[in-house]
Amino acid sequence: MRTFPLSIGRSLIWCLALLMGCTDSYLPEALESPPNYLVVDGFLNAQGVTTVRLSRTYAVDSKAVAPAELRANAFIEDEAGARLGLREGVAGAYVSAPLVLDPAKKYRLRVLTQAGQDYASEFVPVKLTPPIDAVAWRATPEGVDVLVDTHDDQNASQYYRWDYEETWEINPPYRPNVEYVNGQMRDIVVPYPTICWGSALSTAIQIDKTTALSQDVVSGFRVRRLARTSERLTSRYSVLVQQHALTKEEYAYWELLRKNTESLGSLFDPQPAQLTGNVRCLSAPDQLALGFVSAHSCTEKRLFIARQELPQEWDVRTGYEGCLPPDTVYIDRPNPPIPNPVVILYGAFNPLSGNLPIEPVYGPGPVLQGYTAKSRDCIDCRTRGTTVRPTFW
Amino acid sequence: MKHVYPVLLMLFFTLQCFISTAQQSEKAVSGNFTQLPFEQFARQLESQTTLRFYFEPSVVDSLFITLQVQNQPVRSVLEQVLQNTPFRFAIDDENRVFITSGVTINPNLPGEFYQPKAGTPLAQADEAAATGPVARSRYVTASEFKVYEIGTASNSTRATLAGHIRAQKSGEPVIGASIYSEATSIGASTDQFGYFSLTLPTGRHDLKIRGVGIKNTRRQVVLLGNGKLEVEVEEDIVTLKEVVIEAEKDKNVSGMQMGLEKLDIKTMRQVPTAFGETDVLRVVMTLPGVKTVGEGSTGLNVRGGATDQNLILFNDATIYNPSHLFGFFSAFNPDILQGVELYKSAIPAKYGGRLSSVLDITTREGNKKKFSGSGGIGPLTSRLTLEGPLAKDKSAFIISGRASYSDWILKQLSDKNFKQSAAGFYDVTGHISHEINDKNSVYATGYFSTDRFRLASDTTYRYTNQAASVKWRHTFNNQLYGVLTGTYSHYDYSITSIKNETTASELAYAINQGGLKADFSFFPNSRHTVDFGGSSQLYRIAPGSFIPRGEASLIRPNVLPEEKALESALYLSDRFDITPRFSLSVGLRYSLFQALGPREVYVYAPGESRTEATIIDTVQHASNKVLAQYHGPEYRLSARYSLNDNSSVKASYTRTRQYIHQLTNTASVSPADVWKLSDGNIRPQIGDQVSVGYYRNFKGNTIEVSVETYYKTLRDFVDYKSGATLVLNRHIETDIINAQGQAYGVEFFLKKLTGKLNGWVGYTYSRSLVQVNAATTSDMINGGRYYPTNFDKPHDVTMVGNYRFSRRFSTSLNATYSTGRPITLPLAKYYVANSLRVYYSDRNAYRVPDYMRLDFAFNIEGGHKVKKLAHSSWTLGIYNVTGRRNPYSIYFKAVNGQIKGYQLAVFGAPIPSITYNFKF
Repeated sequence: MRTFPLSIGRSLIWCLALLMGCTDSYLPEALESPPNYLVVDGFLNAQGVTTVRLSRTYAVDSKAVAPAELRANAFIEDEAGARLGLREGVAGAYVSAPLVLDPAKKYRLRVLTQAGQDYASEFVPVKLTPPIDAVAWRATPEGVDVLVDTHDDQNASQYYRWDYEETWEINPPYRPNVEYVNGQMRDIVVPYPTICWGSALSTAIQIDKTTALSQDVVSGFRVRRLARTSERLTSRYSVLVQQHALTKEEYAYWELLRKNTESLGSLFDPQPAQLTGNVRCLSAPDQLALGFVSAHSCTEKRLFIARQELPQEWDVRTGYEGCLPPDTVYIDRPNPPIPNPVVILYGAFNPLSGNLPIEPVYGPGPVLQGYTAKSRDCIDCRTRGTTVRPTFW
Repeated sequence: MKHVYPVLLMLFFTLQCFISTAQQSEKAVSGNFTQLPFEQFARQLESQTTLRFYFEPSVVDSLFITLQVQNQPVRSVLEQVLQNTPFRFAIDDENRVFITSGVTINPNLPGEFYQPKAGTPLAQADEAAATGPVARSRYVTASEFKVYEIGTASNSTRATLAGHIRAQKSGEPVIGASIYSEATSIGASTDQFGYFSLTLPTGRHDLKIRGVGIKNTRRQVVLLGNGKLEVEVEEDIVTLKEVVIEAEKDKNVSGMQMGLEKLDIKTMRQVPTAFGETDVLRVVMTLPGVKTVGEGSTGLNVRGGATDQNLILFNDATIYNPSHLFGFFSAFNPDILQGVELYKSAIPAKYGGRLSSVLDITTREGNKKKFSGSGGIGPLTSRLTLEGPLAKDKSAFIISGRASYSDWILKQLSDKNFKQSAAGFYDVTGHISHEINDKNSVYATGYFSTDRFRLASDTTYRYTNQAASVKWRHTFNNQLYGVLTGTYSHYDYSITSIKNETTASELAYAINQGGLKADFSFFPNSRHTVDFGGSSQLYRIAPGSFIPRGEASLIRPNVLPEEKALESALYLSDRFDITPRFSLSVGLRYSLFQALGPREVYVYAPGESRTEATIIDTVQHASNKVLAQYHGPEYRLSARYSLNDNSSVKASYTRTRQYIHQLTNTASVSPADVWKLSDGNIRPQIGDQVSVGYYRNFKGNTIEVSVETYYKTLRDFVDYKSGATLVLNRHIETDIINAQGQAYGVEFFLKKLTGKLNGWVGYTYSRSLVQVNAATTSDMINGGRYYPTNFDKPHDVTMVGNYRFSRRFSTSLNATYSTGRPITLPLAKYYVANSLRVYYSDRNAYRVPDYMRLDFAFNIEGGHKVKKLAHSSWTLGIYNVTGRRNPYSIYFKAVNGQIKGYQLAVFGAPIPSITYNFKF
């Protein structure tokens, strides 16, 4: 009987260890040899340049970027067999000349890969997207909502998708007047830019339909919500909203794609669904292709928001909060041993260190004590955007 | 003198007159007997001659016969047999053989000694004399040999005999015991109150009584007219021998029911479990046709049905979440349980409301004779039960509690996360029964269980089950009795997060169900048993609320409006024994469901996938106004045909309707699942099942084999669109789709519940498929084709074995294998619309690795002295002996753009446990 409490205690620890369970990595055979399907991303622009990106599916645990489909022969084809060619651009992008597609005809995308497979999307009607009536913004307690209004008097559109490209100004907090070049500290020759422009494409799928309404009107659909602390609102923000009219089938595709990929695999995640699109392989039906190719025109509208227009009490962040205050690299300490400024500076600013000097720090009197410094990301705004002023800015 | 006394009693009470034809004792007998108990030996001699043996079974139970005889006179055989034993025998001129210990008697009495007087109320007078302070066995034996005269003489040729079978020691009713007359092949079994009603030809009958957990006995009656017979039987204290065979004999081959699994608490105790505590639901899962998605889950999938399609009744009150601690324990304290019945097909008409099965859990009534208690100490929980009479023989109480001390253990651990975690539960069950008079009894049960767990000091989960039932049973006459039952069930959960003051919040859900039902049983004659009744229950659901906690919280309250509905049903069924070989049970249940206001109901554009964007109207319904109504018949048919004494064929057809749906889009049941009532946008589920089975017993009913096959269709059960939001959703119908299902399978079952080696082996081949072929293509799953459900595990083999070395030591082994459950895999990733997307396989197209587990337990019983202060037993167990890491959950996580798969094994190592049980 003396051992009884001990046994119980031991069992308890066992149990607790067990309640946490054991996690092992799981790689079923199906994942070891992932399918290599063609992925078609893009639409046939009824009034303008068509850009279609061709890539391949790849292993879920890969760190690489999606493998592009190179040297394919891609063209737009109508039901009579007339072809409009696409030219291969960079990294699997295939681009057409500016085109106008005939709304009375049906078109499809045809892709002949270098490996000899023949892919085609289904023939789709040409939809003409109505213009965007307005892109507006509204300040809410949570932040800024970007809203879009549109309508179609013909009641022909009904299904809509929007994407957008955001651009915003970046003002780095530092203006360095020294630079470290070839192991030497010197006055700066080419100053770092004081303004950059960041940009991003929408990643979320924004769709809406008006089938439940008596008129084909979209009013105040929120395409973007920016948190009130967003760094994109620091000084000036712009968003270009692009509108696509969809067919019912394409709308269903995007709706499913959105639900499918907006969450991934925790213990309690919902069931995903298999989704392909409207592209088939004509030469080998078991070779799947992913993506939905439709034919429509695209309309767009731009919106600007300046910091001054936002509520004053908002504590908008600059995105450089983590960069303040600057660090200091001292060249006169520790002492002893007698410090070697060359070694210290090399250690602090060699190209691999990722740090840049900002300005000299002088001690009592004119004695050079060292330099203030910060990482490149805090100083060179080209890590966050481009110095090329956008044409619309 | 001790051993002679029973013989004398027997002589007094035996009225039976044999007519002597010849001196049977000189008749020759043959046989080859090896280690045969004397009782069976005597029966064999009786079968070869017209001799009847009289002896005290408890006296001869140590006597085993090993003998080989060929055409030898009975007298000489008996002389050989009893030679060198203290036993003597005597044969009288009426061919009666008396076996006595130590003393030889002279069986020939003076002729006038024994003259029965017609019409004397022998039964009452002698019963009084026989009870009292005399030894127990003496009383029982006396009742066996006494002849009870029932009723008053009348002209009718048939009469009804009714009464109760109760345990002699505790006064509790014996459920499911059978009482039958072999000569007329008429029998009945006792219901949940221990009540039976038997219509027999008037005259003399020898009634045999058999049942689980009781010793076989018999009563001799002279039936003159309608009357009562109260039977007290001895409990079988230590061994499961005999008793179970006899009961199962009835059930397996000659019983009407098919697809019924009955387990008593003694059988359940033998099955090893993870934490050493007897677990009703775990044992149920070892039965063929019952599956579960994972081992940490108590969600049952019965014959391809979803986890919400099981009606779990605890003394008639519905239990919504039958689990404790993430499902590692079932919510029922084993000490208070009498047994469980699982109906997989041929669900009786009196049950309804769920599609797949009924799990009827009953508690014991408590000891009506003396105060006693029992309990146990296990690695994670302890439990204590007290019971006793409130008024002797009339009323009793039983109260049982169980609590975990996992909280305390977590506090002892050095890990900071553990210290701030908490996990604990407790449950309390109380039951009172009172017999007002011969015709009226009342019963009341209360049940409360609660769970609370907190993970690393942030989020606290808590859930509570409450159930109560009150029953009044009234016997109108021998042929008719009724039970009026009021029930109340409550389930609620809350998830509280208080770590961040500004976002401190509580998410809560609650369901309340109150019901009233009346059930009647009518026994017009021995060939018909009619059950009828009606029920009505009111549901009130608080479907979800999200409210701030504390002053500083900025959470905006979001409270979903209450849902209300009334579900009512009427039923009638008749069990008709057309011939002794062929019987039929025909039942009809008609159910009506009314969803009640006040409610706001959305109307959706027809032909469109339901989304917020397709809402075309909102209709406001006033309080208590019926906003949606569904009704329909539920057919319950079954038939049995006995091919011979050892085998039978049974068939059944069952339709069920279900109006309340559990919403869970995770594979296993989680405490945050909600129950949703049918309404204008959510149709009720309807299930149809056809089942055929063949049943055969071998080796004198010690081995029981059955094969059952079934085909089942399920209409409109709830499945979910991809990415469904189930919590705090004001338009839940936009995320739900009505799915169609089909399930089929074959179940092989072999059971041996006697002998040193006992247990069962079951193999099931089954499929469970679902189809979502909605009108709108975007809602279709897998292109509208049938696909496996989450719990489709085609092959399943389970073995539960028990080997008894002696009465004190036994071992149990539990082995289970099943196909891995289906899973949807992310097969590849790709880049579309500026974002990384995942290409998934068809839903449930792949399977997780197969499931395999072996458990072992060693039981040590204390000494078997009947009179002892306390009985105790130890159970040492190892769960998952091989330490196989069966995946409980498989999940994928995106880490730096890589998607990696992980499998989580809950019990990834052997788990030893030790439990101490006691009884006083």
